[in-house]
Amino acid sequence: MNGVDKSGSGRDVGHYMGVTMREVAELQLVGRANIGAHLLGPGGDIRTGALLTMLDNVGGLNGGLAALPDGWVVSTNLAARVVAPACTGPVRIESRVLRRGRNNVVTSMQIFEEGAADALVASGVLTSAILVPENGPPQWSRPVVLDSLPEVLQSLPAIPDWLGVRPAGDHELEIDITAETRNPWGILHGGVVASLVDLTAEHATAGGRTTDVVLHFLAPNRVGPVRAYARVIGRRSDGTVLRIEVRDEGADRTTALAIVTCR
Amino acid sequence: MTAVYPPDKHLLRDLRFSFEHDDEGRRSRAWMPVVTELCTDLGAARAGALATLVDVVGGGLAASAASPGWIATADLTVHLVRASRPGSVVEARAQVLRAGRTTVVIEVALVDERERNIGLATMSFAVLPRRDSNPEVTTVRQSSSTMALTGSRLTRPLTDELGVHVRDADRGEIDAPVSEWVLNSMGAMQGGVVATVAEIAAETALRAATGEALVVSDLYVTYLGFGRVGPVRSSVDVLGSGAGHGAARVELVDAGAENRQMTVVLAAATRELE
Repeated sequence: MNGVDKSGSGRDVGHYMGVTMREVAELQLVGRANIGAHLLGPGGDIRTGALLTMLDNVGGLNGGLAALPDGWVVSTNLAARVVAPACTGPVRIESRVLRRGRNNVVTSMQIFEEGAADALVASGVLTSAILVPENGPPQWSRPVVLDSLPEVLQSLPAIPDWLGVRPAGDHELEIDITAETRNPWGILHGGVVASLVDLTAEHATAGGRTTDVVLHFLAPNRVGPVRAYARVIGRRSDGTVLRIEVRDEGADRTTALAIVTCR
Repeated sequence: MTAVYPPDKHLLRDLRFSFEHDDEGRRSRAWMPVVTELCTDLGAARAGALATLVDVVGGGLAASAASPGWIATADLTVHLVRASRPGSVVEARAQVLRAGRTTVVIEVALVDERERNIGLATMSFAVLPRRDSNPEVTTVRQSSSTMALTGSRLTRPLTDELGVHVRDADRGEIDAPVSEWVLNSMGAMQGGVVATVAEIAAETALRAATGEALVVSDLYVTYLGFGRVGPVRSSVDVLGSGAGHGAARVELVDAGAENRQMTVVLAAATRELE
């Protein structure tokens, strides 16, 4: 597997984000993305949900490559701290594997803004569980090179519109699962869950900006609609801390839990 | 092998935790009396002390949920929103969010005696095959218990009890020995102590970088390997800071074991919590 994927391949989220990836050394992967207008939030900088999706994309692929040939990975925990807003781009996502165990892979990621003197934008850690997919792990030509679709940055809807986000209460947002938002395994992409969490935090704090996220993926979202419920834990000088629970309402189960700080 | 754990003089006894478990194995509660020795110089319980409470109650509940398998802690998070002052008691309410074939996830709410939120914590565990040396869960899960013995208590500030030595404040380089007082049942530095060492390192570097008396409010601890030999040594990368807050990435290695990588921590600090 290498090169450009067609739309509908389960890689539409990566294409929407415009992330290209290259394996630069053993256990090291670098992603790059321009910052299209569709990724920007109300403040004119890239939404935290988009940053989280990039971290999940690049860290997840790097973790998956580390799991070969025994298996592939699914994300279980994603944590990130946004340090500075990124407005112009392009951004570079550096990823390295910290640990490859029998059951999981831990990947460290950092995002830099090349158009802003390589300023650090975000730092994160992704933990992924090693599983053996039904048809075996995917085959890759090494070193891996993944390019995005050339037209990816043109005429794309903003993230809330792309996901079809709708309010379901003062502290709740809901989306449907579409073909575009599923990953190659047919479940809602982890980056979409992260974006839903980010948008719900913004909604619940009347425009706050997510600066810190810990996201536990507990179960796959397969049916939908998928609803995120926010509850304020407390307020402090650096922002509001929220507990956000994500549920696959069609399957009647909790699928993710996030703790978010919003400023 | 039946090991007596913890020994009579041990952190988990001296912190005077008490526990209560439900019969279903889905929820546990634990309490920690806040004493001056557990607090920062600003007079509130350290995030690391609360992480230790979370680690113990969450670990016990996860061991029960994973039984007959055993567990290894993968990560621990703590987000604090309110200060815990000496004389108060923090209650940790743990519940199982997921108990799967390969992972267990626990959520822990921290509250005070007035039911106010102190913070929220989570833990993830990998489920492993049981070894003979693993404790029996039935002995871990008594309905109501405490590890404290008569006379168990901290006699010095926690940083002193841990033997923390600051090598370079600007770089957040500190050393902490792996003493019997801090061992877990596997013979390595206990997970909450690891979080505490990282917290002290982050606090040291962020105070040096900002000149402000910041305290750590959030910890995201990813466990990569055990610290068995010591000293456990930290290095800190200050990610960013602004008026009244800062963030850092901390790495811990076991310096006595060829700098074996132990832990990566994302930490956030703020001004004194309310």
